[in-house]
Amino acid sequence: MFKNYLKTALRSLFKNRFYTAINIFSLTVGLTCCILITLYIVHETSYDRFHTKGNRIARVIMEYNFGGGSTTTGNFTSTKVLPAFKRQFPQIEEGVRMHQLERVIAYEDKLFTEKKVMFADSTVFNLFDFPLLQGNPKTALSGSKKIILTQTTARKYFGNTDPVGKILFMSSTRIPFEVTGIMADIPANSQMRFDMLASFSSLEANQERTYWNANYTTYLMMRSPDDIKTVEAKISAFIKEEMKDQGSVHLTYFLEPLFSIHLQSPYDSFEPNNNILYIYIITGVALLILLIACFTYINLNTARSLERAKEVGIRKTAGATIKQIFVQFMGESVVLTILATVLTVIAVWLVLPLFNQLTDKEIPMSLFYSKTIILSLLGAVLIIIVLSGSYPALIVSRFQPIKVLKGSFARTSSGNALRRSLTVFQFGISLFLLVSTFIIQKQLHFIRNKKMGFDREQVIILPSDSKIMSTIAAFKAELKKVPGITYVGRAQHSPHNIIGGYNMRSAQMPSNAQLNVKADPVDEEFIPAAGLEVLYGSNFSEKDIANVQDYTFDMDPALKNFPFIINETAARQLGWEPSKAVGQKMFLDDTRPGYVKAVIKDFHFASIHNPIGPLVLFPTQWSSILLVKTTKGNISTILAGLENKWKELAPHRPFQFKFLDDEFNSMYTSEIRLGKVFNIFTGISILLACIGLLGLCSYAAQQRIKEIGIRKIMGAGVTDIIRLMSADFIKLSLISMAIAFPLAFLSINKWLQSFAYRIDINWWLFALAAVIGLALVLLTTGLLAARAASINPVKNLRTE
Amino acid sequence: MIQLKNIFKWINTGRNRVFILKDINLEIGEGDFVSIMGPSGSGKSTLLNIIGMLDEASEGQYLFNDTDVFSLKEKQRSQLYKENIGFVFQAYHLIDELTVYENIETPLLYHNIKQSERQSMVADILDRFNIVGKKDLFPSQLSGGQQQLVGIARAIVTKPKLLLADEPTGNLNSSQGEEIMELFRKLNEENGTTIIQVTHSEKNAGYGKRIIELLDGRIEKN
Repeated sequence: MFKNYLKTALRSLFKNRFYTAINIFSLTVGLTCCILITLYIVHETSYDRFHTKGNRIARVIMEYNFGGGSTTTGNFTSTKVLPAFKRQFPQIEEGVRMHQLERVIAYEDKLFTEKKVMFADSTVFNLFDFPLLQGNPKTALSGSKKIILTQTTARKYFGNTDPVGKILFMSSTRIPFEVTGIMADIPANSQMRFDMLASFSSLEANQERTYWNANYTTYLMMRSPDDIKTVEAKISAFIKEEMKDQGSVHLTYFLEPLFSIHLQSPYDSFEPNNNILYIYIITGVALLILLIACFTYINLNTARSLERAKEVGIRKTAGATIKQIFVQFMGESVVLTILATVLTVIAVWLVLPLFNQLTDKEIPMSLFYSKTIILSLLGAVLIIIVLSGSYPALIVSRFQPIKVLKGSFARTSSGNALRRSLTVFQFGISLFLLVSTFIIQKQLHFIRNKKMGFDREQVIILPSDSKIMSTIAAFKAELKKVPGITYVGRAQHSPHNIIGGYNMRSAQMPSNAQLNVKADPVDEEFIPAAGLEVLYGSNFSEKDIANVQDYTFDMDPALKNFPFIINETAARQLGWEPSKAVGQKMFLDDTRPGYVKAVIKDFHFASIHNPIGPLVLFPTQWSSILLVKTTKGNISTILAGLENKWKELAPHRPFQFKFLDDEFNSMYTSEIRLGKVFNIFTGISILLACIGLLGLCSYAAQQRIKEIGIRKIMGAGVTDIIRLMSADFIKLSLISMAIAFPLAFLSINKWLQSFAYRIDINWWLFALAAVIGLALVLLTTGLLAARAASINPVKNLRTE
Repeated sequence: MIQLKNIFKWINTGRNRVFILKDINLEIGEGDFVSIMGPSGSGKSTLLNIIGMLDEASEGQYLFNDTDVFSLKEKQRSQLYKENIGFVFQAYHLIDELTVYENIETPLLYHNIKQSERQSMVADILDRFNIVGKKDLFPSQLSGGQQQLVGIARAIVTKPKLLLADEPTGNLNSSQGEEIMELFRKLNEENGTTIIQVTHSEKNAGYGKRIIELLDGRIEKN
């Protein structure tokens, strides 16, 4: 019996190669999407879970406010937090302070810029499970100037020789660090993924004077998981006591459980966080794709079942029961689904690297063999078999033999409603995704092309350090000798993303009424290099910059007089019309008294998720970046020229450059990624929906084959038949639009609300999606209708 | 063997009730060979389908070997059908994807017959019908007459007591038709299989022992 089923199944699958192929194809695509997304979700939710004591660990979040203006909250603390908290709260068993920096590392003739050099207290191994392959976790980081390398990093510097005991040189000043251990490479699902781990004491930052100077990350490990809540509740009162001399200043701390940081915290860890919202969106999309694939399968198979009707009739007259027929057809879906599953495994294996590229993750193929993934694959397969296999099998097994064998297939309306609603649903999803994609792409286009108020083209960012700064004037002059370079400005932050919290007040405001403000210490060439527009007053002069040199840290602030350049928003917040601000007295943190030298036009110095805030530029002697403005020209020659100069002037540091444009784009990585994900999934869902439509349409064509024949004999042309056949589907797609468009409008509008500057949703975006949708419907149905219409009618009518 | 009592069959089209069969009373004994004749639309095929348990009457009683067919549950009825009835169609209705051998084997599968037994039963029939050489061919590779031969072989391989044939020679030329009719007569005489056939042709009807003429759903001549 089974052999007979299998034979018929395989022969019939083979005979209808085209249907079988698209059937398996759509299932494979659906399953592959699903598996990839499950992999992604499993990966994202597994962050930091490998730390066995992780449920007792929390990160400290700082919140402060200088009695006016807005409150600042973030993942930074001063070095005092850990010792002070540990003394105060017995629930804290252990803690670690960490700080990640970019450092130049030299060993013999090797010179690299290491982006992820972590400094941590020696207790780091008590909290986190970072296994040491060599060295003793208790002593490896105790003492200054000790460093542990990951396996990969060790190989990079030392090849196959044993690095332990060797000396690496750090920074432009070539500070020696002793290698005291080798640790395993950090897994991809970790919120910190440093390449080197140096002792915290090497930073010489440890102090217990102040809670300010908050540049470090503190993790605390409690004695039990519940202690996180207990301690957090007591922090506020403790800090109030500690800060009682500091007037109206508000300061407190929160604790974030380690496991919730990656997906739920608004504050990044050492690696970028993910937003739980995007996880939900992506899960939703995965389920939609799987549903579409199932619906396609149902529509195709029901269509095909008509071709098998005769066989069913014969089998029934040969004595087959409904159950036997049902089992036979279910068996065929099982065969198809198993084939698709095998292909899915291959497809996942092939596509995973591309998927990793798209999501900027390093999901290993080994994750595929985990229990969760295997179970969810089996689950999905089961859903497909039960959902999509059973319906056609049910329909088929209920065929009445006399009807199907007579050839006069009564046009039953049963199941029609279901298949139509599946099509409406499928098309609705596709149109929903299509419109969303249009709007996301338009917003991305808007971001890329919005006038930010500064030039981001032809601007190169170079790093700077103390060695370069010691001869900066000559350094800049030499760089400008490279043909094509017009300005070399210095700054602490690039103009696309100015961070760092300062306070400001005008001389008229009382000293406790501080306003939070972003500020960037710069030199006189920053404004022309960044292409900022001075509205009133004039740019810094060389003399302004030179003057600051005399302002030492211990000097009496009253003797200082800083020239400030502020933006329009800052002027207004300080209470002046921008045109009347020049010359006014103001303070930037009470340590910097001065006057407004110029007002610049507002520009976007942060992500356009936020409205433009106040900004102050002030002169400085020390900078961390150089902003090189070039003329339009051959960028590679300019870069080659710059590199030659660099090697000559700063041999202690590898030549490393970034384009401001790229840096700007990287601020919108998650949006750009969302755009790409939507592009791909929209494409897939439209493809699957069209295949499903093809199935439904060929079903209709077969059902109406007699009608078409008669109409042709009556004189209907091919176009008349196409019109007749398509009208129905056009109606269906109009219903899908009526459902999908309002939903798309609502959800995408919500996403747009997260941008302070955004596009308007135009009606023509919907019109475009509608036109594309209708065109696809016409194309798919038209093709089949044309085929049905071109068959000789005499053939169709002869069955009677 | 078969007793039909006051069988009515109608379909409702809008407000009108169209009668296909009207008050059919019929008895057919074991070993009979009956030809049902009548013009198009007289209800021949419907009557055959009711006898073959593929269709139900709207009213009346059908006793098959003293079992009331209409009162049976679906499962019991299909069991009764499976054990007793074989069907031959005008359009042969072979499964295109299966070979001659596999087509004939199909009903045996639904009768839960063991593999070895199946082989000998199919081989037996192939031999009897002189189509051993064709056993691995697909239906599309056969002539109409050969296909109908396979159709009949398939219908009788389970040794049904009742063979129903709906215009079995309708698609065949006269010499092929005669061949089939001779076969029917042999089945009837040698195996004692009861045969009921629907036919248009006086000549084919003559092969039977008894002719029933239908007109407008009524039995005109018995």
